[in-house]
Amino acid sequence: MWSKSRTLAISASIVLSGLYGVAQAQPIDASRLESADTNPNDWLTYHGSYKGFDYSGLSQINTSNVKDLDVAWMHFPGRTTRGVQSMPLAADGVLYYSGSYSRVFALDGATGKQLWAFIPDLDEDLVSRQTHSPYNRGIALGEGKVFVGTVDGRLLAIDMKTGEKAWDTKLEDSQKLTTGFTGAPLYVRGTVVIGSQGGEWPNRGPIFGVDAKTGAKKWEFITVGGTPEAMKTWGNDTWRTGGGGGWMPGTYDPETNSVWWGTANPAPLYDWGGDSWTEGGGARPGTNLFTTSVIALDPDTGKLKFYHQELPHDAWDFDSAIGEFVSIDRDGRKLMLHPNKSGYMFVYNRADASVANVWPLIHNINFVQNIDTSGTLVGRREFQAGEMKGPPLCPAINGGVSWNSGAYSPKTGLYYKIGNEWCQTMEVTKTTPVTEPQSQLYIGATFHLVPPPSGTIYGHLDARDPVTGEKKWEVRFPEPPLASVIATAGDLVFVPDPRGILRAYDARTGEQLWSHNDGIGHNGGIISYSAGNKQYIAVVTGWGGLVGDDYTGAFGEPYKSMPKDAGALIVYALK
Amino acid sequence: MHHTMSALILVALLAAGSVAPAFADEAASDGGAAAKGEQLFGSAGCGWCHSEGGRAPGKGPKLAGIQKDDAFIHNRIKNGYPGQMPGFKQFSDAQINSLIAYVRSLPAQ
Repeated sequence: MWSKSRTLAISASIVLSGLYGVAQAQPIDASRLESADTNPNDWLTYHGSYKGFDYSGLSQINTSNVKDLDVAWMHFPGRTTRGVQSMPLAADGVLYYSGSYSRVFALDGATGKQLWAFIPDLDEDLVSRQTHSPYNRGIALGEGKVFVGTVDGRLLAIDMKTGEKAWDTKLEDSQKLTTGFTGAPLYVRGTVVIGSQGGEWPNRGPIFGVDAKTGAKKWEFITVGGTPEAMKTWGNDTWRTGGGGGWMPGTYDPETNSVWWGTANPAPLYDWGGDSWTEGGGARPGTNLFTTSVIALDPDTGKLKFYHQELPHDAWDFDSAIGEFVSIDRDGRKLMLHPNKSGYMFVYNRADASVANVWPLIHNINFVQNIDTSGTLVGRREFQAGEMKGPPLCPAINGGVSWNSGAYSPKTGLYYKIGNEWCQTMEVTKTTPVTEPQSQLYIGATFHLVPPPSGTIYGHLDARDPVTGEKKWEVRFPEPPLASVIATAGDLVFVPDPRGILRAYDARTGEQLWSHNDGIGHNGGIISYSAGNKQYIAVVTGWGGLVGDDYTGAFGEPYKSMPKDAGALIVYALK
Repeated sequence: MHHTMSALILVALLAAGSVAPAFADEAASDGGAAAKGEQLFGSAGCGWCHSEGGRAPGKGPKLAGIQKDDAFIHNRIKNGYPGQMPGFKQFSDAQINSLIAYVRSLPAQ
């Protein structure tokens, strides 16, 4: 009887496998997610695994045969306002991804055949009033569901087999706050964590924990004055309008049972009060906790375990919201690399977020004289209301790094990351936050992108030691690439560039080995996975993100005429 | 009752910060309207996209010297354009007119 049932079960699984052309699905649970780095066939979470490597252990595509890489199939999500900006995921030979307006698709990873599509109804009237919308930057998998946030303040769960909605939880009053969710959620041991937009609005930027089974809200961590200690760091009750948020997914460290998350900047972005913030003056007196910080939360309760504020009283919109946390073990030390938008890379001890090192990725920095290796800001540049004095501010508000991810190869020991060299002129204005009837952008300046004093705007892919910052090689781009990069065990680094060219480099030397024109700029994710024992590279395309919008004024064509309502998922394999 | 309602509206306007109270006087001269428009331009974060107060291209186009007519600009501010500019439906016609006055006051060069 037992053996008969077993035979039937195996037969059924073979039939199902044949039907869908995909591997037999195993549950995506905590143990599978926490060992995801050992199974390169899947790409289960935003950065591939909780280790944050953006690295594929697959080597079928490698330096010797990448010249034979070609398009295997494509998928068009439709209604692609501002391009596809998401990171696809892959599990058991099925590829899942999201497009603008939180459209979610499940596709056969080998053929691209659509298994299901989920098109949510959104508050379209609200969407038409949002600036940072309607793009979606990704999804999470867990417990047989796909999780996705919406710009109208909801977190949705979709059955990963059928595409039917499992639950729909309203977390934020987006009609009032304007903000919603564009970043991917993170699934951790039964809890779905998602952070709100927020740095540009006079709100308080929450991060939520939601029960993965039921959709019930478990906890909320408020990044602006969310603890009694933090509230004291906002003079004149400015915590009421302090910005914050956490708009990209962080990661999970099972060893300390901590969710690491990066928080957004305080509002207004620029402070007209010069250095008076240390003595109760300016737009938001004090250090403004927990904005522009790396925080570690208990996944069950949302309680703060430890934190480090990368830029106390961030006066430059160089936030910590980049959700890239790279676990590096070296010489017995357990470290965590995190890029700050300023272009400084912070290296933490994973036990408590104490600073182990800080190094600069970019060359043009003058918002401080330095951030020393202990994380202390030296020679801060503050502003008064009016035209900014002195040289252009470097880097520009677009960041020394943008929100997309770098990659770490445990094989080469190198960290591959895009740096941006640009600056801005600026006039700081004393503005009043507008919260009624709906929160409006709370910026505090008007600015203009300009080249650095040393020459022209450019971007560069660096290969560096992730702990010391020592550079192995560098490749330059006339316009900074704005998409994520990926490293693979085939000793390749793929860079999707803004003009639309996907390029592959030798991970050890930086030599370009292959390229292909995807026909429109890249501003999203790239992954690798296996289906039917064949390796694929999947990249999303489409243009029109907030940083990319500056390329028309800065560079003219091809960006001036590049569509901002198009994009696709393009999947490559060896011919 | 009417007075109570007026008082409530006034409280609501004051709670809205600098935007609404600045437009209590709708009979302002062009110069006044442009000044109010400049203030609203700053409060609503228009400079996020329209660089240097609209004098230079940024995420959005340069506004100084714009060739579009008032009706076009009014409609664009009110309703936006998907993926390129949000709509500001909460602004009154007077507020939008002040923004147009401000944009028209910028030297075209």
